[in-house]
Amino acid sequence: MSQLTAEDFQPKNLPRLLVGLFSSYWLAMVVLIFMTLITLFGTLYQVDHGLFAAKQKYFHSWFLLHYLRDGMPLPPSLEWIGTIPLPMPGGFLLMLLLTINLSIGAIIKVRKRKKGIGMLIAHFGMIFLLVSGFVTFAFNREGYMALYEGQTGSRVESYRTWQLEILPLNEAGEADKALTIPYHDLETIREGERREFKAADLPFDIVISDYTKNAVPVPVSAPISAQATGREVGGFKLLVQKPSKEAEQNLPAVIATFRPKSGAGESVETILSARSANFDPRDGAMAFGFEIDGKRFAARMVKENWPVPFAVRLDKFIFERHPGVSMARNYESRITRIESGAERPLEIKMNEPMRYAGFTFFQESFGPANAAPGDAMYSQFAVHNNPADQWPLYSLLITTAGLMIHFGMRLFDHTSRPRRDAAAAPAGEAAAA
Amino acid sequence: MPLPHPPEKLPPPDLSESHFSNPRSLLISMKTVKRFRALAAAVLAMATAGPAGVQAKDVSVPFDTYPEWPAEVTDTFRQMLVQEGGRVKPVHTYARFMLMQFSGRSKVTFESKDGQSHNAEAVAWLLDTLFRPQLSADLPIFVVDDSEAVSRIGVEPKEKRDRYSYNDLLPGRSKLAELTAEYARKKQQYDDSEKNPQYELDRIEGMVLVLGQNVSNFEYLMSQFGFARKGEALTHESVLPAELKELAKRLDMTEMLDKMPEMTVNQLVQAVQAPAAPDDDQAMLKSAMQLFFFHASSGRGFSIFPPPAKETEEWMSIGDVMLTGLEKKDMRPWAIERMNEVKALVEAGTKDGATFSAALKKFADDHHAEADGRGRGEGDRSEMEVKLYQGNYFTNSLAWFVLAFVLLAVSWLAPGSAFSKYLTWGVVGCLVIGLFYNVYGITLRCLIRHRPPITNLYDTVIFITGTGVLLALILERMTRIGVGLFVGTVAGVIGMFLSIKYEAKEATDTMGQLVAVLDTNFWLATHVTIINIGYAAGILSAILGAVYLVGRISGLRKGDRDFYRVLNRMNYGVICFCLFFSLVGTVLGGIWANYSWGRFWGWDPKENGALMICLWTLVILHGRMGGYLREIGINVNAVLLGVIVTFSWWGVNNLGVGLHSYGFTDGVWKWLLISWAICGAVMFCGLPLWLRERADRQEKQNAAPSGRKKPKPGGSAAQPA
Repeated sequence: MSQLTAEDFQPKNLPRLLVGLFSSYWLAMVVLIFMTLITLFGTLYQVDHGLFAAKQKYFHSWFLLHYLRDGMPLPPSLEWIGTIPLPMPGGFLLMLLLTINLSIGAIIKVRKRKKGIGMLIAHFGMIFLLVSGFVTFAFNREGYMALYEGQTGSRVESYRTWQLEILPLNEAGEADKALTIPYHDLETIREGERREFKAADLPFDIVISDYTKNAVPVPVSAPISAQATGREVGGFKLLVQKPSKEAEQNLPAVIATFRPKSGAGESVETILSARSANFDPRDGAMAFGFEIDGKRFAARMVKENWPVPFAVRLDKFIFERHPGVSMARNYESRITRIESGAERPLEIKMNEPMRYAGFTFFQESFGPANAAPGDAMYSQFAVHNNPADQWPLYSLLITTAGLMIHFGMRLFDHTSRPRRDAAAAPAGEAAAA
Repeated sequence: MPLPHPPEKLPPPDLSESHFSNPRSLLISMKTVKRFRALAAAVLAMATAGPAGVQAKDVSVPFDTYPEWPAEVTDTFRQMLVQEGGRVKPVHTYARFMLMQFSGRSKVTFESKDGQSHNAEAVAWLLDTLFRPQLSADLPIFVVDDSEAVSRIGVEPKEKRDRYSYNDLLPGRSKLAELTAEYARKKQQYDDSEKNPQYELDRIEGMVLVLGQNVSNFEYLMSQFGFARKGEALTHESVLPAELKELAKRLDMTEMLDKMPEMTVNQLVQAVQAPAAPDDDQAMLKSAMQLFFFHASSGRGFSIFPPPAKETEEWMSIGDVMLTGLEKKDMRPWAIERMNEVKALVEAGTKDGATFSAALKKFADDHHAEADGRGRGEGDRSEMEVKLYQGNYFTNSLAWFVLAFVLLAVSWLAPGSAFSKYLTWGVVGCLVIGLFYNVYGITLRCLIRHRPPITNLYDTVIFITGTGVLLALILERMTRIGVGLFVGTVAGVIGMFLSIKYEAKEATDTMGQLVAVLDTNFWLATHVTIINIGYAAGILSAILGAVYLVGRISGLRKGDRDFYRVLNRMNYGVICFCLFFSLVGTVLGGIWANYSWGRFWGWDPKENGALMICLWTLVILHGRMGGYLREIGINVNAVLLGVIVTFSWWGVNNLGVGLHSYGFTDGVWKWLLISWAICGAVMFCGLPLWLRERADRQEKQNAAPSGRKKPKPGGSAAQPA
């Protein structure tokens, strides 16, 4: 890394100035100080707003406005301070700057000396760690799979993103395919907006409005409906709930209108709510059925889901508590991985995930929460598809090696200095004489 | 069990005839304790003192004399096994933490009417509670930090902070039960509503809730063996109709169990709740069942009986034994045998000390044989555990660190003298002995649990203290300027003091079971240990920074620039050490998280705290390399590093959010804020030093011949500190 001088600020030296700036200790310090600050503020913010909101605001952002009142109780006389917005760089910007600073200052421009080899390796390890963080952020797909004993699954569900599904039904009332409106197209519907969706395969257009992040449909006959705002549809209104701190607990709802393309016949309007989804893995989500142009359809809110290239069957779920207390001692799943007809029995435990074909299955939790002893229980796996899964481990090994070399050399240098000084002293004295 | 009506005050126990011999040997041994133990006791007393300096005092109790338990009785009893908190442990541990929970101390101090002061240990107190409940009800064991809490339940308050006996609180028992239920509901609403302030308990409400829970737990303990007392000293007697009290004197529960039909607990409850019986026989049977249910439900919680089936892990209390005998006829002979054992023990308790001692010994031997016979290794390290607590290793460690500090302070009176030199060696010796006690205690804890040194927050305190002292001794060996010794004594005294204080505050088993995710010795040994070494280095760096700043501002060794240069270099080394361990520990934690939770980094508060330590050490090291931070700046930031370490170590656990819920604690903000205020004041010392240095430098530049190039570190407009 280098230091800037006044000459660097001459216009003709702009490229040099930029290189100097991006490789400077000054930038490293500023970035590190701001990273410490946003880490602190993002931690405190979680207390009132939850982890997901904190991540979005502080760590997955370029810039942000922080208010001191967030997570930090202030005495009444100082509450005004809490309302002052403090503009700050976000996590994206800081990590980008840090990566550039490390790459230019600590790898490219640094003087390659024998003494600096340890630091060179350690900084390289850190860059690798930052890159792995970026790859994880950009390409990791995470969800969960919940199975009862004997159940087989090959699809992963998202924790917090919901989509609207239209199912054309055959005469037996079954669906061969589903058309979906993705979460992003739903959550971006603003208040008062009516967004239209068209599909060539469907005899109707879909108009979506009144998107609510977390709401409960209540019958207008219920006294609580007095608190509900918005339109009444089919004898129901949406009672808006405060968004939960835990983003996965929010259950969105919309008003959907199915408008026949032919112009003949009446439009069908309904409230579709994530609350209709059945959260027990044994049952699918409840759907709203309707008929247009003599054909039957169903619509429902379901969690976004995607396939894995193999199936997993839960053979046995083992759940143990420490004797006499409710604290879980162990939970593990005996599963069979099924791929192209071949079956392989495996175990997934806490701290011992199953890694296969780019996917990792972790023992995450179990349910139902109200299960009594002897009741059937399901096992829930967190499923990740992260290309950078093991990169942090490699970066740790690199960084540790670099730091050990560097600090080892420094320590050796420090401890041998008195001996060197002592050895040099007589010669010095002789020279003086 | 909440009581619907205030029970009548129990008659004062008749203890004019002492049933137990008074072990004078115990008193003699108390007199011959070594001096450092007295010092330790003084410090310990400070550690367990309440707010506003109110210290527990000898409280007079309304009985003439306190017959102390013979040593062989307490020694036998302490080694017995009980299952609690998911593990089998010695009764000594159980009694110690139970009493701490009620009293904030592991002993009961009181004065009997004969003027004798008594200092009953927890095991003796538990013996009293189980076998002499009337006496135990008069012991002052319930600590109340604010008398407003007892006023609220209609009990006459004593001092602002004081200890009350069960009988002191009895007049307000029904109000206490009512308020406890109300505040427990409110607390539940607070938790369910994601901490809506509307439901937050205020300080007094919190105290009443804790008091109510403690009194209820105490009642369960007192009534454990109630069925064997022939209707005497029934703790929950107020819920019994008069005819049942009479029946309790005549009816033998063991004989009754033998004759009862096989029935489930639900069937028993239905029978008890059935409408009035048509004839006398039926009415009598119903009363008997009510009484049986009363004794069985009162006798739950103290699980000392290993189940006969080897594959069953859950031990039983006498209440569980009674209900098991009721439910399964084939288990009835076993249940009756256990009940008879308890009866024999309670009966022996009413006779002389030797009889009771022999009965207890037999009971304990049978009990151990039964546990051993299961072949599950339950309680196989209980002797070691008793030794750990009886050895008072951590208290001794504190005492030696205090002694080291005192010697060090005395050595400052004659710096450079031979006397001072000898004292300095004394300080080294005391620190080494204190460290030995600390390491020995930690090692025993590892052996007892078969775990690495750190599995919970309490472990971190003793481990970080030991590591800090060891690092300080190494620093002293390398630099020999005396600062390592000073820092070692400060770290040792503060750390061990904190461990005692924290143990008393939490009052729960510090060797409890682990949640499933922590059940991995590999990650506990690597990530957890390494990151805590990083914490220790961070704290040490902060103390070194404080020594530097306070030393310079106070003019200590004025003019001795070499001293401060060495000190600064020492701190630089410690910061590098801190970075290495914090960084490696943090990344290891990420890798563990990637194995258990499926992601390397999740911005969880505990992860963020560790990251902040790494970031701040990097700020210091890059600031130093860039020339932005010199000696003063480095040391000011080292103190700030200490603030960040304490936030990461304690603060994030107090936030109550995140995946590291197994480490949550509360009630530490006040102490953290105080420590941060002190750190802020120390950091402020850097400002005048920096201004003075800048002025000196300016003066030198002005005095230097013109044309000399001005030094310009890092392109910063301001001069670095």
